[in-house]
Amino acid sequence: MFKALFSHGKKERRTLENLRKHVKLLSSACDVLRRALETEDRGLAVTVIDMEREGDAIRREIMANIHEGAFLPYLRPNLYRFAEIIDEVFDLVEDAARYYEDLELHETLREDCRRIAVLSSEMSEMLCLTFETMLEGGDLREKTLALRIYEKKVDDIKFELLRKLKGVQVKDFWEGKTLSDFVDSLVRVSDVIEDASDALDIIHVSMG
Amino acid sequence: MKLKDFMTTNLEYIRPDATVYDAIERMVDRRIRSLVILPQADGAGHGVITARDVVCKVLAQGMDPATVRVADIASMPLLCMDGEKSLRDAALTMAENNVARVFICDGDKILGMVSLLDAMQGTLVSRARGGNV
Repeated sequence: MFKALFSHGKKERRTLENLRKHVKLLSSACDVLRRALETEDRGLAVTVIDMEREGDAIRREIMANIHEGAFLPYLRPNLYRFAEIIDEVFDLVEDAARYYEDLELHETLREDCRRIAVLSSEMSEMLCLTFETMLEGGDLREKTLALRIYEKKVDDIKFELLRKLKGVQVKDFWEGKTLSDFVDSLVRVSDVIEDASDALDIIHVSMG
Repeated sequence: MKLKDFMTTNLEYIRPDATVYDAIERMVDRRIRSLVILPQADGAGHGVITARDVVCKVLAQGMDPATVRVADIASMPLLCMDGEKSLRDAALTMAENNVARVFICDGDKILGMVSLLDAMQGTLVSRARGGNV
């Protein structure tokens, strides 16, 4: 059913190829953020920012393809919504990278932030797998469960991290704000990836 | 997946001379099933007390939890693993030793804990990734 519906027409194929590129690029961006936190290489933030820009161009192309009439009308909003959510994740990853560039993370926060980056990166890989499974018309159940497990893990770390955050001394208002914004962006990545997984589920159901 | 990435780091500690009743209170308040027991003396290791210990070793025996010390029913030493090991290694260790949790340690320091639920969730994630279970 999926293959039959999705393989029609040039516009559809181009849209799907762009959606695939968009999700894969997001996964790469999450991986770069993970590496940045693991190696404390703040220079990698520039790579994430470039990737976000590239992702934005892909999203605009997806929008143009859909606007030109790719897919049946009832599918278009869901496909576009999916691309929008991926864009939202890109923004969060970019924000986290930008804030990290200006931060010296306190020792007590480093490990929790690293773990959240690792889990978010693995989540984005799982989202790629979920997307491919959907295109092949496979069952998404195991993949979406895995995404929920990852999100629950990040949630557990988040509360511990927020508790530790309250005990961290900062030099001034701006350092505190940057730190708070960094943590906020980092922990929200997994939340929004879960939203993307829900959007895929809706596309899957609407194709059924 | 590595244990250090999937472990729970939010551990609750209790003094060895606290009563089992104190431990029950803490577990109920925090909605957790185990507490790490602080070393009794310098150089001594940590221990663990679980809801199972409380039920099987105290309540089922008709003992008064307010008069039994946690150190008296605790399991010691902790079953420790390296954070670089996989969740599958943890599942095997738990099965071989018939325990519901293993601790991730770096020397004397406890970094976190991996429970049966974590092992189960990790297995589901591996399956979804197309890996061997």
